[in-house]
Amino acid sequence: MENIVFGIGITALTGALATVAGSAEDTESNIGSQGDPNSQVQLAPQMGFLHRIFNKAVAGEPPAYGLWCALGAGLAWAFMAMQVNAILAIVLGCILAVFVQGVYATTAYLGRTASLAKFGQPVYVDIIKSMTTVTMAHAFIAIFCTVALCQLINGALGHPFPLPLLALIWGIALGAAGSATGNPYYGKERQYQNQKFGAGVPISASGNIVRYAEAGERNSIDNGFFTHKIGGSASGICFGLIVFLEIWRTILFERIYAGWGAIAVGVLMILVFTVIDRYIEVWARKNYGPYTAAKEADA
Amino acid sequence: MSAVAAKPQAGGAMNPTAMAVGVVLLIIILGACYYVSPNLGLTALIGVIVGGVLIGFGTHFVPVGGAPAAMGQAPGIATGVAMLAAGAGLAGLFGGAWAAPLGTTVATITGGIGGGLMMAITCMMVNFVYVYGMGIPAASGKVLHDPITGDSQAEFKSQGTEGHGLPFVSFVGGVIGGILAGAGGTLIYLALLDLYKATFPTLMSATHAQVLPVAVSVAGMFAVAMFLVNAVLTAYNITGTIEGPHDPKFKRWPRAIVASAVASALCGFVAILIVAI
Repeated sequence: MENIVFGIGITALTGALATVAGSAEDTESNIGSQGDPNSQVQLAPQMGFLHRIFNKAVAGEPPAYGLWCALGAGLAWAFMAMQVNAILAIVLGCILAVFVQGVYATTAYLGRTASLAKFGQPVYVDIIKSMTTVTMAHAFIAIFCTVALCQLINGALGHPFPLPLLALIWGIALGAAGSATGNPYYGKERQYQNQKFGAGVPISASGNIVRYAEAGERNSIDNGFFTHKIGGSASGICFGLIVFLEIWRTILFERIYAGWGAIAVGVLMILVFTVIDRYIEVWARKNYGPYTAAKEADA
Repeated sequence: MSAVAAKPQAGGAMNPTAMAVGVVLLIIILGACYYVSPNLGLTALIGVIVGGVLIGFGTHFVPVGGAPAAMGQAPGIATGVAMLAAGAGLAGLFGGAWAAPLGTTVATITGGIGGGLMMAITCMMVNFVYVYGMGIPAASGKVLHDPITGDSQAEFKSQGTEGHGLPFVSFVGGVIGGILAGAGGTLIYLALLDLYKATFPTLMSATHAQVLPVAVSVAGMFAVAMFLVNAVLTAYNITGTIEGPHDPKFKRWPRAIVASAVASALCGFVAILIVAI
């Protein structure tokens, strides 16, 4: 019984850490324009729209976070092997991983923006100075939370995978969940704030991203502030639910019928999410209604 | 024939010669494995190939819209095919590896359910953001009616777009893709773990308990690597984006099955060689 209570406590903690990690990851990637919306940041100068948006896409979010989390966890593991306190070891490992992220961010911005020189897009040194540190701070939160939850899974819950491998797996899953949930909100709702609400961006408008703020030119910190409220929160909930429910069903139900209990609960949860998804889809169809008449659309 | 004169095939045509070459390569690799390690090695290689094929097939179900989906210009999840499949499958591998002591069947199904659960949560949250965050309903660009619910799609596409969000058939496709990918990844891990657990003690002159962490780590790394090999291979087959099982690109899966089988066999053979030589 004590084991189960301990397991539930650790599960709740990992879920909370995952929620913070998901939220920070999405905000970091939005400030740096790392996800798919980056295509528009790269396209805009080619269409004649010069901007001051940070552009640091090194790779897709999942492999980037897989690398950074595995790096942080590997270094933390090495520090722990040197008898350094676990919390201090994780902090030190993550700080070093964040420096790698900062180097990637800087070279990516310089390289990507310099490639747009023929379209007249300048490289802004003040953007590197002000934005890089902000993305590094968010990346630190995301990496630290992910490595910490992996340490809990490995050390307290006894998962067989070593810490760096767990961090690679959950880093990739973090990037996948964060980019899947957060990208549309940044790509459509923020970059194309000048387009109609409640409709996708017409393909003909591609590249015409919003470049001006209330005062002066829009910068990426504004984007992080805006997207954090819905995109960041949704990404956090998404990754938090994934980690929490995956561990929760294992801790509580794996002992029932030699593993079949956890499988049954997993199937049940998939069905619950299917019903919720269907409800959301039908709700949108009923409340928002069609864009055109059915016959006209079919034609 | 020049590039101009060539008929457009939309990248979907099957090439029987290439498929036959793939099958021959597969048989050659299986034969080489039988020569090197007839019992344990061959069993592990078959497990790896089946796992790889499951990943390759499962990735076709995952609805991925890439960059256009991030602007609400196309349906699907706004990220890369390989990346999303890897995220789901590796979340499944995490659960499957945890359940490994409970036997191959339970562990593989647990891995599958883990991948399916990850995709179910992600797909639900994608629709949540589209509907409640951006006020956009789900609409498919490839079919007039959702094959499962029968909902009409065309009038819910906003002007100048290919559709947006995840219609119900795409959601179901995502969950099926996650289940197959998670089960495939776990199967590869279990196949290699059994092999390494049996061979490492002799190879390293150590006890079973001493080699277990090494066996788990090496098998886990190979499973992650082979997962990415198969997911990326499939991403090439579907050329970037796919809506799910109702998308015409889905019909390309036989080509990916052969490619995944050959690639998995080759990677698996290398993983077996480290203990067989």
